[in-house]
Amino acid sequence: MATLSLKNIKKIYDGGVVAVQAFNLDIADKEFIVLVGPSGCGKSTTLRMIAGLEEISEGELYIDDKLVNEVEPKDRDIAMVFQSYALYPHMTVYENMAFSLKLKKVPKDEIDKRVKWAAEILDITQYLSRKPKALSGGQRQRVAIGRAIVREPKVFLMDEPLSNLDAKLRNQMRAEIIKLRQSVDTTFIYVTHDQTEAMTLGDRIVIMRDGWIMQIGTPQEVFDHPANVFVAGFIGMPQMNFFDGELVKNGSNYSLLVNGAKVALSERIQKGLAEKGVDSKKVIAGCRPEHMIMKPAGEDTMKATVDVSEMMGSEIHLHLSCFGKDVVVRIPSTELSAEHRGGMAYGTEIDISFPADLIHLFDPETEENLL
Amino acid sequence: MKIASPRTRAYKVVCIIILIILAIFFMFPLYWIITGAFKTSQEIYAASPVWWPSEWTLNNFVKLFEKRSAPLFQIGSLAGPTVPAAIRWLVNTVFMAVVAMLLTCITAAMAGYALAKKCFVGRALLFSLIICAMALPKQVILIPLLKEMSALNLYDTLWAVIFPTVGWPFGVFLMKQFSEGIPGEILEAARVDGAGEVRTFATIVMPMVKPGIGALAIFTFINSWNDYFMQLVMLSSNANFTISLGIATLQGETTTDTGLLMAGAALAAVPIIIVFLIFQKYFTQGITMGAVKG
Amino acid sequence: MAKPKSSMSRTLARRETISAYLFLLPSLLFFVGFVIIPMVICIINSLTDASMYTKGLGNFVGLSNFIRLWQDSTFLGALKNTFIIVVVSVPVVCLFSLWVSSAIYKLKGPILSTFRCIFYLPVVTGSVAVTVVWKWMYNNYTGVFNYVLKSLGIIDQNINWLGDSRYALGCIILILLTTSVGQPIVLYVSALGNVDQSLVEAAQVDGATNLQVFWRIKWPQMMPTTLYILVITTINSFQCFALIQLLTSGGSGTNTVMYYIYYTAFKLTEQSGHFGYANAMGVMLAIFIGLLSALQFKLAEEK
Repeated sequence: MATLSLKNIKKIYDGGVVAVQAFNLDIADKEFIVLVGPSGCGKSTTLRMIAGLEEISEGELYIDDKLVNEVEPKDRDIAMVFQSYALYPHMTVYENMAFSLKLKKVPKDEIDKRVKWAAEILDITQYLSRKPKALSGGQRQRVAIGRAIVREPKVFLMDEPLSNLDAKLRNQMRAEIIKLRQSVDTTFIYVTHDQTEAMTLGDRIVIMRDGWIMQIGTPQEVFDHPANVFVAGFIGMPQMNFFDGELVKNGSNYSLLVNGAKVALSERIQKGLAEKGVDSKKVIAGCRPEHMIMKPAGEDTMKATVDVSEMMGSEIHLHLSCFGKDVVVRIPSTELSAEHRGGMAYGTEIDISFPADLIHLFDPETEENLL
Repeated sequence: MKIASPRTRAYKVVCIIILIILAIFFMFPLYWIITGAFKTSQEIYAASPVWWPSEWTLNNFVKLFEKRSAPLFQIGSLAGPTVPAAIRWLVNTVFMAVVAMLLTCITAAMAGYALAKKCFVGRALLFSLIICAMALPKQVILIPLLKEMSALNLYDTLWAVIFPTVGWPFGVFLMKQFSEGIPGEILEAARVDGAGEVRTFATIVMPMVKPGIGALAIFTFINSWNDYFMQLVMLSSNANFTISLGIATLQGETTTDTGLLMAGAALAAVPIIIVFLIFQKYFTQGITMGAVKG
Repeated sequence: MAKPKSSMSRTLARRETISAYLFLLPSLLFFVGFVIIPMVICIINSLTDASMYTKGLGNFVGLSNFIRLWQDSTFLGALKNTFIIVVVSVPVVCLFSLWVSSAIYKLKGPILSTFRCIFYLPVVTGSVAVTVVWKWMYNNYTGVFNYVLKSLGIIDQNINWLGDSRYALGCIILILLTTSVGQPIVLYVSALGNVDQSLVEAAQVDGATNLQVFWRIKWPQMMPTTLYILVITTINSFQCFALIQLLTSGGSGTNTVMYYIYYTAFKLTEQSGHFGYANAMGVMLAIFIGLLSALQFKLAEEK
């Protein structure tokens, strides 16, 4: 059983710099949690506090209901995979993986069994007698993971393990980590700055920025209901489009005015706004590129001109200039007229709009979702 | 391939010629010592120098060994067999250099690691103290050091020469430079793996700074062997002399027996030159590393 | 469950400090005991009239030792000689090793190593062995120098190199040069090898001659090395001792500060207060070296 509980964890450096603010999270046994955010958001610092490599300035950390703030890393029953892999250069792969077990005075044949088992899972058995410098980046990374697996820890901590790999390897290793979970059924805490990794790997994602938690939720939750502008812009590729608009309340009816277009809002959104008692106000409206629609000019459309059109095969990515702002729209090839199927020329004028239910409304000052 | 103009080529040729002349000039003293050690008195004092001894005689060495004698070693009241003093001097020198080397390497490796990788109170202060101490000439402290040694009853023992060598901060400085190359994450990985301080140092840090230790070892060995002034000040009795000091003393007494002196010089120089030639790779590394942050 | 106080961070920091000092301890003991303490005693002693036989620290005499120094003609003469040695040897060593390094650093491995060893040889041979053989080479009657110079017709009778105050200092400087260039050559060779080749190639494409490439591209990149070499060569030439002691015992106009310190401390044992006096000299020497080094740093910074 390995549950974790972080209560009001803070990290304050000398000089008053607050790297992590009031971090609260309960992690269930065997859950795969991803901490994601841009550089400097505090995700690695949080991970290191869980590991015991950084002191916790304030707050409490519980592993399995035991307070572990002052417990040494080696006694927390955790294993960590470092960004740079941190393999001992003068030891062979086998010795690297056996090191921690040797320190715990595990009997030799047990060590051998575990090392070989881990090597098997990670497909590195043929490298056991090599030294790290004779291995490629991807192989070294697997050894780093192997070193963590053999300990059969309660919690697995991974600090941006895929950052140092090239794009192709990264995709490969992502799939391998998902597979790994089947053989190693433990709690994972994974740190990355890549939202794709977060979305594909995590049971739940914790999005961080400047030390604060922006949102915690499953990948679907944060995608469908981003809590604020930051999360909305951070999750999803290409990034969500944001517009300055105005929410108009007409009796019990809400409508959205953006760049001259009068957009209808779905019943769900209307009901939600009514429940919250939202009045007419200025808003930030967000809509994902894949949700925006191209339709004939009308009351609910905005004019936009094409800057760049990228032919992706099954769809086309249009980078538009709309009322001075850059907007990206993804349109499936099937919806394009014959003349546009190969791409749209620079300067082509089109009309775009929003689907009634797939709009996100944010308060311009607090940047929070109105719903 | 760069096309060499005739002028560049001529310059290169001139360079090589000058270099060879210089090389001969630099090697000459050593050559002169070795040939002189084996020459007969006749040839040594000949009006025109004899470039190559016609007969290689060991006479000079015999005379050197007859000059003085001393016990081979002395531990407490246990004295070894009586041997020519020159042999005892060699034994002393080897002992001194080896012990200084071992002690320096161990203490400097530990201190260098702490300075490089640990955050602690007074770190900056200590480091600046070390830099300042390194910049000052060693000789300045020898007089008070002498008094200190006699107060500690170490005067006229080899320890009086060894201990100041171990204390000299260059070793710590060098090891700090080498220790800084260890990635912090490796030390953290070891900590997470469960290694304690001593374990981490012995099994992770030491193997990774091996080239640094090698360089320091050879450096300390050669420098302590050749540290004449310190030996002169600290050692007074015949049986405790190092080979350099012994030869210098003989020179003071027998200014006329050049052959004997050459034999002594050979004894003082050849062993250390051989050591240098074998380990020169480490030596060069050590000097270069020491200068990088100097 | 207890709420941890922020004093915990102090405990962890303290633990780290304790472990750090445990690692430092052995080295620190030797360092403080045999380097720092003597240094402090030296400074204190320079202000006393301590002698060989004084128990404890001796009587405080303020700066009288220092004042006496500047009135001591022997000291001033030694100072002059020391400065001559330094002023001559430092630039010569630097330029010489620079030239040699630039000539050999591109040679193939074994040849380069051989040359490097040869130039380092006098250093490794040790000051005593070097001194002893040069004494013979400089010898009036049986020395090689006189023979070679006579054969080449440069001189027609033997010169007493070490006995003649016109030549003695020069002879010593010559020996000092041979024992001083080893380390700078090793450093310059390494520094030249580390010069960014792409900069050199860019300059060559721009049309620079070899000489221009050297002074405008390579030389600036070697500044830190040059500075280091200047400092250690300076310290080295100030400390030149065995040569003086064994060749001339300070006679024939070769007395240097280093030798005078030794003489005052160990040869003048009848004179009272000589330890304090010698220590004062040592402090003076350290100050000179410190000033010169600081000057060199300043100059390098401005460049």
